[in-house]
Amino acid sequence: MATSLSYREKSLYASLAAEIVVYGPYFFLHQQNSVNKVAGMIIAIILLQTILQLAIVALTRNRMTDERDRVIELRGYRAGYLTIASLMVVGLAMLWFHAAVGHLQLENRMVGLHFLSVFFGMLVISDITKTATQLVAYRRAL
Amino acid sequence: MPAIRNQIRELRALREMTQQDLADRVGVTRQTVIAIEQDKYSPSLETAFKVAIVLGVPLEQCFQYDPHGKR
Repeated sequence: MATSLSYREKSLYASLAAEIVVYGPYFFLHQQNSVNKVAGMIIAIILLQTILQLAIVALTRNRMTDERDRVIELRGYRAGYLTIASLMVVGLAMLWFHAAVGHLQLENRMVGLHFLSVFFGMLVISDITKTATQLVAYRRAL
Repeated sequence: MPAIRNQIRELRALREMTQQDLADRVGVTRQTVIAIEQDKYSPSLETAFKVAIVLGVPLEQCFQYDPHGKR
C-alpha cells in the first residue's frame, strides 16, 4: 500500500526547501544587516517559490484538495501564529531589557536594520514552523 | 485503540474497489482514504455519510465509535 505524496504535500515540501535554501544562508552566514540583502532575499524566495510551484502544478495530475488538507492547513496556521506571538513577546522583552540596561548602542540607521532583521527572522521562523507542522500532520494521526 | 474505527478497507475489498475509486466517488484525495483506513483521520460527518453511501452500507456498519478509545 504505497502512500504517494498529495499535491499539497509536494507543494509544502517545495516551500520548505525554498525557505531553507534562501533564508538559511542569510541568517546563518551573513556578516552584516543590509536592506539590499533582505530585498534580494524577498525577490529570491518569490522567484524560487514561483518556479517550484509551477513545476509541481505541471507534474501533478490530480491537484485536488479536501477537508483533511484544510484541517492540516489550519493546524499549521495555529502553530505559526503561536510561534510568532511567542517570538514577539521574547523580542519585545529583549528590546525593553536592552533599552533599560543601555546595551543597544547602535546608530539610528543600524537600529532600523537591526529591527528589520529581527522581525524578518521572526516571520521566517514562524513560516517554517507553519510549513513543518503541516508536513508532520500529514504523516501523523489527526 | 482509536475512538473511531472503521471497516472501509474490508468493505472496499469486497466490492473490488480501489482507494482511488472510493476517493473519486466520495470527493476526497486518495491520501485521505488511506489516512481514514489507517485510523489516522476521522472524517467529517458529511464525508462519513458519503463513504457509507458509496459502499452501500449503513453508517454504523462502516464506522464504529469506542467511548474508551483515545482521540
